[in-house]
Amino acid sequence: MSGGILRREGALGKFYLVYKKLIIALGLILLLFVLGELTVSNFLSLGQILLTVKLASFIALFALCQMIVIAAGGSGLDLSVGYTATMTAVFTASIMDAQNANLWKAVLVALGVGLAVGLANGLLTAYVKLPPLVVTLAMSNILQGVVNVYTAGHAITGRPSPVLQIVAAKTTGIVPNILFLLALLAPIVMVVLYRTRWGMKLFGAGANPTAAYLSGVNVRLVRCAAFILSGVLASLIGLLLLGNMGIAFKDMGSNYVMPSIAAVVVGGVSLGGGDGNYLGVILGAVFLQTLTNLLVALGWGDAGKWVGFGVVLYVLLIVYVGNRRSR
Amino acid sequence: MSRRNRRISPLGRFIGKSEFSRLAILAAMFTLTAVLQQNFFETKAIVRNINAFMPLILMTMGQAVVIIAGGLDLSAGTALSLLTCVLTTVMKKSDPLTGVYALAAAFAVAMAIGVINGVGIGYLRIPPVIITFATSYLWLGIGLFLRPVPGGEAVDWFRAFYNAGLVEGVPAWLKAAGAVFPPALVLILIGCALWLIVARTRTGRYLYAVGGNNESAYVSGINTAAVQMRACLINSGFIFLTALFFVGQNQSGDARMGDPLTLRAIASAVVGGIALSGGRGSVFSALVGALIISFVNKIIFFANIPNAFQPLFGGLIVVLAIAGSQAYALSGKRSVEAGRLP
Amino acid sequence: MKVLEAVGIKKHFGGVVALSNGNLLCEAGRITGLLGANGSGKSTMSKIIAGVYGADAGEIRYQGRAVRHLKPNEARQQGIAMVYQNLSLVADLSIWENVVLGGERNKGLFLDDEQARDLAKEIVDQLLPGLDIRRAVHELNPGEMQIVEIAKAISAAPRLLILDEPTAALEQAQVRSLFRYMRALAERGVALVFTSHRLWEVMEICDEVTIFRNGENVGSIDFAHEGKDPQKIIAYITGEAQQSAGARGRAAGAGEVVFRVRELSLGSRLKNVSFQLRRGEILGIGGLAGQGQHELMLALAGGYPGLECTAEVAGRRVRLKRPAQAIRNRVLLVPGDRQLEGLFLNHSLFTNIVFPKLGLRRQPLFTPRRKYRRECAQAIDVLSIKAHSLDMPVSALSGGNQQKVVVGKWLSFQANVLLLADPAKGVDVGAKRDLYEYILKQVRENRLSVILYASDNEELIDYCDRLLIMYEGQIVASLEGGEITDDAIVSTSMRVR
Repeated sequence: MSGGILRREGALGKFYLVYKKLIIALGLILLLFVLGELTVSNFLSLGQILLTVKLASFIALFALCQMIVIAAGGSGLDLSVGYTATMTAVFTASIMDAQNANLWKAVLVALGVGLAVGLANGLLTAYVKLPPLVVTLAMSNILQGVVNVYTAGHAITGRPSPVLQIVAAKTTGIVPNILFLLALLAPIVMVVLYRTRWGMKLFGAGANPTAAYLSGVNVRLVRCAAFILSGVLASLIGLLLLGNMGIAFKDMGSNYVMPSIAAVVVGGVSLGGGDGNYLGVILGAVFLQTLTNLLVALGWGDAGKWVGFGVVLYVLLIVYVGNRRSR
Repeated sequence: MSRRNRRISPLGRFIGKSEFSRLAILAAMFTLTAVLQQNFFETKAIVRNINAFMPLILMTMGQAVVIIAGGLDLSAGTALSLLTCVLTTVMKKSDPLTGVYALAAAFAVAMAIGVINGVGIGYLRIPPVIITFATSYLWLGIGLFLRPVPGGEAVDWFRAFYNAGLVEGVPAWLKAAGAVFPPALVLILIGCALWLIVARTRTGRYLYAVGGNNESAYVSGINTAAVQMRACLINSGFIFLTALFFVGQNQSGDARMGDPLTLRAIASAVVGGIALSGGRGSVFSALVGALIISFVNKIIFFANIPNAFQPLFGGLIVVLAIAGSQAYALSGKRSVEAGRLP
Repeated sequence: MKVLEAVGIKKHFGGVVALSNGNLLCEAGRITGLLGANGSGKSTMSKIIAGVYGADAGEIRYQGRAVRHLKPNEARQQGIAMVYQNLSLVADLSIWENVVLGGERNKGLFLDDEQARDLAKEIVDQLLPGLDIRRAVHELNPGEMQIVEIAKAISAAPRLLILDEPTAALEQAQVRSLFRYMRALAERGVALVFTSHRLWEVMEICDEVTIFRNGENVGSIDFAHEGKDPQKIIAYITGEAQQSAGARGRAAGAGEVVFRVRELSLGSRLKNVSFQLRRGEILGIGGLAGQGQHELMLALAGGYPGLECTAEVAGRRVRLKRPAQAIRNRVLLVPGDRQLEGLFLNHSLFTNIVFPKLGLRRQPLFTPRRKYRRECAQAIDVLSIKAHSLDMPVSALSGGNQQKVVVGKWLSFQANVLLLADPAKGVDVGAKRDLYEYILKQVRENRLSVILYASDNEELIDYCDRLLIMYEGQIVASLEGGEITDDAIVSTSMRVR
């Protein structure tokens, strides 16, 4: 009898349940592809698709930060990821000075920055109990201020180490290298989230903080740690952004904040916390980047992009989050 | 044991011990600014200060209404920007009548904004923070669509919303009055009157009930969704008034000008005693909060802190203001015996 | 004149039948009392009449007309008002604003605050003279809040007023005022329904009493005609057949003291609770619902951050401030509300059972899946959990099986003390038997020590060696061995004078 219970769940049924949201995300992407091909010529060229996926990778990386913070529960969101990345890029550009030898110094600075920001966010949200959205929004403003101060005196000099440029900007053959990074990262993330005790504690804290607390988990610590991790990750992504762009400038990261959250919603991650499939989030990022391309190709430009994002997010929130009171 | 002079009415939610300390802080900031700004008490300077403070005051009052009802509006700043874009797109400098059309159009858009937010918060019960985050991009996008770069036109008489003296054909007495009693002040008073009226009606009472305890309000037979929708509409009204002022002042629309005001309005509301959890605070003390933040910003300006540092300090002030207010509010709270959750 | 007549009411929640045959008759000018043990259906009956729940079957006639499920505000408009237990106040508003909430009157365009204040003052003064109606509700103590709830219900000028345990939070003097007011209302022709756990209150204020047991009426007593006999009432409540003490064929061989608690207090919820537990003993906590039992169980597990529970566990003094500390000391809690406090509903059986292990020290970085899966399979075996896969979500399990999962979490821990907070609530008969079989086996063979809180007196009678009865946060009685009978439990719980 026990042998029976040890067997894994029947393939087809579980596949549908677990992967339902992934399938929906995939379906949305395909929908956009079809729409794109119909309305714009050459929408589905290989080059275009690869470019889309490359840009989507950066969104997916930022979305990982969001996913960690959201999964821990307590209405977690991190709006400071954009300027954390920007600040790191700005600080480390002159340190690296286009030398590989200085890369380790840059990484150290990045870790320090990310730790400081994440710790501040984590303490204010988990221990002082301020709403995460307001805290991280204010933090974003503060970081923006710091960047302004830093760049007011001098122009942002410095270029990234060649290693960073290779990883972030260049391609191997036709495949952008950043994809390899993501392909390496994604399984690591999945393993950590689903196969280690930290991951289970994280999801537990988000799914039912009371039950987690009564089972011995220090929920506040877990939530604080989530913000620290998000800050450090965002900071490291800043290095990649620098590698991709070649220079650092003031608005490097701020345009990624909204898509990072939208990607999480499209990917079917519950905003209340407790679950999250990174594959879905990656698909969500691809979807958003494809949407951006479509809107740009249609000539709608920046305006269309934001309207598109706003509408998509609103509709998805209704579908996934909204619950009309049924009494 | 009751406080003898404590009246609990919309105006009366004003007098209390925390209110006193808030007024004391305001007095301190006021004095400090007066000391730092040499011509502080001159009419021209007073008018200029009122004009500078006005947007934050109105935005804060509107945000306060939404927060009291249990919501939060992160799209307020971009909504403001959108309205300026709408105004300057509909208006044609050559035809004074377009000004009227613009007013109507902008008002309609403002109400639509309120409805879209209100449906999400009230009827669909999506967390206000995330739904207004989404709609903020909607307003930004539409604003950019109308005005990809700041610009647009405004009819001449629109300047009356900023300074009646600049408009041709205005009688001399009106100009003189406008120099002492600027339109900005009038707009603020309109906003105050709006709130005074609302506060005395059923809607006003229900804003507090729904924000204070949504479940209890529902069980008592209140239509909580409609109440929250109305809060969003009232907020839109305040944003609309602010937009009039901006276009009157700048004669142009800009899709991004309102962004910094969102967080500052929220911080001002919190400093003004509005609890982010809802159900508590008075819109008039939110006004006091906006004044405090405005004076603090002015002090920073006069303290000769280099230009570059000012946004940084602005952000720091927001964090300190919110953290401080929350901590202060929590310190005097009813003891939570069974507060067992982390 | 019949104001309300309910016949043959049936109501179930999920698999649990709350009412199988509920009947009630309320007449104008009379105060009807509802009595019954925990889970007898009397509370469900009140809520159905007030419109909070809808009946599954049966007929309700209000003022002669048949009515179907009314929503609370519809019921209020029709003249039926219910006094909730603090479900309907907005803490930040003042007393008078709460009293008229939902029923405000207008004077012209604006609210008629003056009229509202006058009305509130009039009612509140008769219930609790001297209470300033301008104070905010969050400043009040629970008794005063209850008075405001009552005033709110009365302000609707109802024809039928239902008071569901309104005296729970009130002091003697306040109860007297309330009774005076109820009498006055009755004289004005209002019909009242009153429930209380204090038998003497019911006997004092009610004209007649209807007794519920196991989801149906078992008797009615009209005090005017049949007199007031507490023994007779208790007999109705407990039922004649269950007078015998339950079988407890275990050697109550007292081991050494494994858990000693002294003077545990928590605000107004727990007052100076002290007791000791011996190894191999099952100590019961009983009493009427809501007397602090749930809070006690949580406090013993370190579940209240502000509260330090100083205790002796296996001879060592410990301070249990957090659940993690309690777990380290092997004081393990099976919480009372499994969905809210014990389970991750959307997660798998595996995750739920394995979860507490994650907090232990010296655990490997990667969860040893195969080892854990084997341990889970063992737990499922031992407790006979009916599930077809370790990966299925616990939300898909029945209540009984869910409860087994909550217990199964602790299987591999060597518990010093197992705290069971109402483990059989909402659990079907078979699962309940499995659970108790397992527990008794552990007690017998491994000298497990258990503190058992059960809302069903049968469980207490059948399984406990000793029983502590709680009332208003204090331990008011201790019964041992053969003293544990239904009669004794009911009378000590209800404070029969």
